[in-house]
Amino acid sequence: MMELLVFAAAFAFLAVICLYRLAKGPTPADRMVAGDSMDVLVCCAMILYSLYSGRGIYLDIAIICALFGIVDTMLVGRYLGGGKGLHK
Amino acid sequence: MRIVIDILLAVGFIFALAGAKGLLQMPDAFCRMQASTCISTLGVLGVIAGGALYAFFVMGSVATGVKILLIGLLIITINPIGAHAIAKGAYRSGIRPDKEMEIDDYGRDINE
Amino acid sequence: MPKTKFPAVISTFCLCFVFWLLLTWNFSAQEMIAGAVVSLAAALFASKFFIHEDAFWLFKPAKLGALIMYVFTFLRELVKANVDVAKRVFGGCKDVNPGIVKVPVDLKGDYAQAMLANSITLTPGTITMDIAEQEGRTYYYIHWIDVAETDREKAGELIKGSLEKGIGRIWQ
Repeated sequence: MMELLVFAAAFAFLAVICLYRLAKGPTPADRMVAGDSMDVLVCCAMILYSLYSGRGIYLDIAIICALFGIVDTMLVGRYLGGGKGLHK
Repeated sequence: MRIVIDILLAVGFIFALAGAKGLLQMPDAFCRMQASTCISTLGVLGVIAGGALYAFFVMGSVATGVKILLIGLLIITINPIGAHAIAKGAYRSGIRPDKEMEIDDYGRDINE
Repeated sequence: MPKTKFPAVISTFCLCFVFWLLLTWNFSAQEMIAGAVVSLAAALFASKFFIHEDAFWLFKPAKLGALIMYVFTFLRELVKANVDVAKRVFGGCKDVNPGIVKVPVDLKGDYAQAMLANSITLTPGTITMDIAEQEGRTYYYIHWIDVAETDREKAGELIKGSLEKGIGRIWQ
């Protein structure tokens, strides 16, 4: 089914668009948001390509990609925030 | 069935496109976060629904379909935590929008 | 640090084992024994961080029904908010009016508050930034892409009206 490949390529293209914000973004938060979105988009593209090619290994990689994408986002978020609670 | 799958994938792609466009064009960092939430909700849900239908009814493989649904559940439940951490961290590290916000309770309370 | 309790270990074990079965989708005895051992290890380690209150909450039919009802409520709100944000984006990104409002919340309990905060973050257009407790009441700081209402109570009704009712039905 050809549409799966077309949509996988389209999602990968959106990830490349996000790369622009990752390179340019004036603040660290912009870069992290772009990285997070790229992570999800690549995960979607991997699911669709796995269905197209019929190989299950891409699904496992998609799970790992989704899980570890959060870890780095959390890490940078906590680092930017520093401290804890509202009134330090 | 293939038409339904195509429609679901197209809906997912449209919302993901909206998220990516907003990510490039929104005026400040917090609004970009709002736009990027579009990608991780309906963009992902469209792909997950379409992919799971394809796996169940066209490929006939239950294991693949269940795995795709699990990936969707993981992304939907985990992603807001990252967005929350980034928003809080960005505000506390001194990132502010260019234009003055209409109402800013957090900035008022954090300076007390 | 809270002590590890037996029901908490059992319920975490069930969750991990179901996840293992769904991911491998292989019902031979060898796989299932390996899964049981790994889930037990994970449950012993993680249950004290994971479950603090009623361990067998998910196994009550009324609560499960309320959870399923909530999923549909949430999906409706999600689609509405998504279409709204997508319209703003395709309209040229000029139609934004961001602000941070402080909204009072009536829910009790950690799980209910965390669930409501995550639901609000997941709807495009609103992000929960912080939770504060003042004078026995809980407040959320919510970044809102289009501030339509500056009064705090009414803004809270607009943002989380039906979500809060659904969650209150689950965690009463």
